[in-house]
Amino acid sequence: MSELDPRRVQQALVCMLFDPDYAARVRGREPLPELSERERELLRELDPRALATDRMRRARALHVILDEYPVSAAMLGIDVVDRFFSSPEFRACVFDRGSMALDFGERWLGDRTAGVGAIEAGLARARRELGRERLESTQKLRRAPGVIPLQVPDGTLAWYRRARERLGPDPLQALTKLRKPWPHKPPRRGRQHLLIEPQVDGTLGIATASEPLVELLRAAEDPRPRAELASVAIELGADSHDADELLDDLLRDKLLCEW
Amino acid sequence: MPDFLARLDLLPTLGLGVSTEYGARRQDGALDPAALRAEHPAFARFLEVGVEIVKGLDDDARAWAARGWPTTYHFLDVNLDEPDDFDRGWLDAVRETVAILEPAWLCGDAGLWHFGGRDRGQMLLLPPVLEPEAVTPMAEGIIALREATGREVLPENPPGSAFVGRLHLLEFFARTAEAADTGLLLDCAHLAMFQRARGLDPLAGFDDFAWQRVVELHIAGGQVHEHDGFAWVEDDHGVAVLPDTWTIARAAIERAVNLRAIVVECERNPIAAVVPLFEAVQALLPARLRSDP
Repeated sequence: MSELDPRRVQQALVCMLFDPDYAARVRGREPLPELSERERELLRELDPRALATDRMRRARALHVILDEYPVSAAMLGIDVVDRFFSSPEFRACVFDRGSMALDFGERWLGDRTAGVGAIEAGLARARRELGRERLESTQKLRRAPGVIPLQVPDGTLAWYRRARERLGPDPLQALTKLRKPWPHKPPRRGRQHLLIEPQVDGTLGIATASEPLVELLRAAEDPRPRAELASVAIELGADSHDADELLDDLLRDKLLCEW
Repeated sequence: MPDFLARLDLLPTLGLGVSTEYGARRQDGALDPAALRAEHPAFARFLEVGVEIVKGLDDDARAWAARGWPTTYHFLDVNLDEPDDFDRGWLDAVRETVAILEPAWLCGDAGLWHFGGRDRGQMLLLPPVLEPEAVTPMAEGIIALREATGREVLPENPPGSAFVGRLHLLEFFARTAEAADTGLLLDCAHLAMFQRARGLDPLAGFDDFAWQRVVELHIAGGQVHEHDGFAWVEDDHGVAVLPDTWTIARAAIERAVNLRAIVVECERNPIAAVVPLFEAVQALLPARLRSDP
């Protein structure tokens, strides 16, 4: 008898509930490396009609994606966004304890919406980091939760802001009225450096930033010893006498934190 | 630690109670638990508070607890068989909530409450995989939550239209309770869904079940739907309790000698609509569960 991991069976069941094509593959004979034969046999015993009793399941999940990625959705069209739930990236999210919204933006979206997708994925990540528990301080430095450095094509921020404005105060309603994807294309050339940053009123702001600052914060994605980060700052152009002071400034401005 | 059957003496008898969850009363005509207690004290002797930590407690639950009225804590957000779900932030918040509610015990559906991590749009509820391999991870989660909160944790059989695995649901939960050395919450409406899905009699599996561990029962209304010739039950917590659910409830009350509490789940209905249901359930109760608050 082959092995059985109950969690893996349940994860596959979730994918089957979201994606009838995947359910058909589980029932079929083509190899599926994520499931043992015994696990697959259990799932084959399910009445396919029992998987379709909640007809709004996929729509509810899609609603979350549209809410967090309104401009990307306007560019792609809702039908294309909906394909995420039939993708290997969605299944990876289910099997690997992922975040649906982050995996949509950071794995599935890729370059489909250029820098706009990067901005919306950055905002999605920042929202989640602000609610994340903090581990014990290790005396190392890393970028502060909710501070997301981005490099996007030149002019993306202005394009994104215009697009967001065009969707109005209720983007979801605007998206449902959209009959076909926007024909407008976002910038794809040059480079623009941006910083997503929590504001005092609890919202998230996006502004342009200098390339060295964005690169330094990207280098501080994982906690690093202060001296190591100071060296990075010097490599990026800081004066060797001022690197420590620069790190203190970034700590005071809550762009870096001790972690 | 003494075994569960010895620890049972420490659990209070709560009698008939009502359930709520965050924001349940925002809906027009929804049940006001405090008003139900004022008008019909015997129907709302305790409040079962459904808790999703990210939402917290609403004003109704806080006000109930502040009056020192009895509660139970029904979790809505933990995959018991998933050790990663017991992260420090979540556990701290659970302990803080327990300190506010002072619940008689914790309980909740022992199933899949979310896919992937615990994140927006990822909440759902699926039954456990009914295979022997699923028993130990579930039991370990129950023990971990009991040790983290200092309260008994009673697993509940979840609803579903698709049940995976070859064990009978009652056998799975009996094995889980034995492995975790804990009590059980039997949801009569959910069990009726399972029996229907498997084409079984409503009382199938009753003879060998661990009735002495059953501490709490749930009774709720449901609606039968049909999809492409497939009949299934929506667990809508309405006031129309299906005949199979009544059959199960009557038989369970007869057998559950250590029963401490029954929740009538009807949080989205006005008081006038739920009173007949409470009266019908009360008529089934043994005298020890019927005393006035």
